[in-house]
Amino acid sequence: MAEEFLSEAAIKKNRSKHRIKVHSLQLSLAVFLLGSWQLLADHQILDPFFYGRPSGVMHQLGVWITHGTSIGSLWVNAWVTFYEATYGFLAGVILGIIFGVFLARNPTAAEIFAPYIKVSNSIPRVVLGSIFVLWLGLGSVSKVALAFVLVFFPVFFNAFQGTREADHKLIANAKLLGASKRQITLRVIFPSALSWITASMHVSFGFALIGAIVGEFLGAQRGLGLLIATAQGNFNPNGVYAAMLLIAIMALSAEWLITKMENRLLNWRPTQVSGSEL
Amino acid sequence: MNSGSPVKFENVSKRFRTPKGTWYQALAGLDFEIKAGEFVSLVGPTGCGKSTALTLLAGLEQPSIGSVKVNGSEVTEIDTSTGFVFQHDATFPWMNVYNNIAAGPKFRGVKDYDALVRTWIGKVGLTGFESNYPHQLSGGMKKRVALAQALINEPTLLLMDEPFSALDVQTRSIMTDELVTIWETTGSTVVFVTHDLEEAIALSDRVIVLTAGPAKVKADFKIDLVRPRKARDIRFTEEFLKIYQDIWSVTS
Repeated sequence: MAEEFLSEAAIKKNRSKHRIKVHSLQLSLAVFLLGSWQLLADHQILDPFFYGRPSGVMHQLGVWITHGTSIGSLWVNAWVTFYEATYGFLAGVILGIIFGVFLARNPTAAEIFAPYIKVSNSIPRVVLGSIFVLWLGLGSVSKVALAFVLVFFPVFFNAFQGTREADHKLIANAKLLGASKRQITLRVIFPSALSWITASMHVSFGFALIGAIVGEFLGAQRGLGLLIATAQGNFNPNGVYAAMLLIAIMALSAEWLITKMENRLLNWRPTQVSGSEL
Repeated sequence: MNSGSPVKFENVSKRFRTPKGTWYQALAGLDFEIKAGEFVSLVGPTGCGKSTALTLLAGLEQPSIGSVKVNGSEVTEIDTSTGFVFQHDATFPWMNVYNNIAAGPKFRGVKDYDALVRTWIGKVGLTGFESNYPHQLSGGMKKRVALAQALINEPTLLLMDEPFSALDVQTRSIMTDELVTIWETTGSTVVFVTHDLEEAIALSDRVIVLTAGPAKVKADFKIDLVRPRKARDIRFTEEFLKIYQDIWSVTS
């Protein structure tokens, strides 16, 4: 048994020791997995023609960065996919919140719309991509539309549920304190639904990227989805992995931004484990 | 200002639909009246319908039979000149202490509320905690926020639903003391629901004892203890014990 509390320095030292241990194990795992892949491919146990190899992926990325891709500059293509996903995401989040809160606050309207929402939610939304390409053409608009429908529903359902679950006591209290219906929506319902809404935002940026990329698979002139489709057509697995890597970086940066924003908006909550730490 | 007494229950009954689809009757012919500026406690066994009486007064629910009148007119909707302190925590968790207490004036469009809010923060002893959020406060401090939040709007009628029941005994008696002190400066009419007889006597001008549910008035006691009172000390006086015994003999 220790006789005294640990000093601040000792606690810090223990913590950094632990962190170094975790990080070095994480790194070794990555080295092991990528290394075995590279070795297996080099010795033709995994056929590099079909499975590619890490060095090939890095080479492909180098070529894309220095010489551009077969469909133009890498950055332009990445940017196109990014903004398609972002526009779809923002539109989906904003409309999802508005509709979710509105319907939850107006039970009659919710009753009227319920069957329509159920039906449109049950359609596998990716198939709408084909329709959007037909309607809106090969440009970015059809991708934004697909990203939008993928984001809208999860945000809508969470906003709806969050509003429904808002504490009735708090609403009664606000009414007694003199709040109007509008003030209750903005100052009581919205903040209490916010943790539900931000939870749905974590998954939905991923959905927005899926929408943009699948839209590009289905027919596009630019974008990482088209890049992947082209690489697939040329039997270039390294190209597919390289594009995947870029998409992963994009998704992680967006997740980081969303977590930052969430912590800012929800700073009144007791500290808890947030999505990025899981 | 008004034609009738601040609070009047006329033969009020109230029933609720239970989740099983049957009816539950909470009140059965409740009938009483309260004078302006009176501090009245409703006491009765747990679940007897005391809280229901308060929600009718606040306009959160409507009576099934009979009428509830505040200042001579029937309560049909929430009246913002009524203040309510809930049994469980009803402070807004996303607002800090300052904004919680400022909520009423802000909702009502009062300008220049800052000085008023700071006065109330001082009155309930929360100076220095303005920017704390509710989850960072103790149970007693949250109650102080709730009290200031209701009283800052200068309600003519203040309703309190077992506000201190979740607190430990010591904090509870301190809060009771502070409530008496603050209330004696405001002069609003108070209806205080509790199942703690001692608390009821220490605070009130009148104690109305309700029957087990469905509730009606069982007995009505006038409490002739001096004012201003020191709620903590008065519990040990002989008069207090006498009243306590009188009421106790009726309830049991």
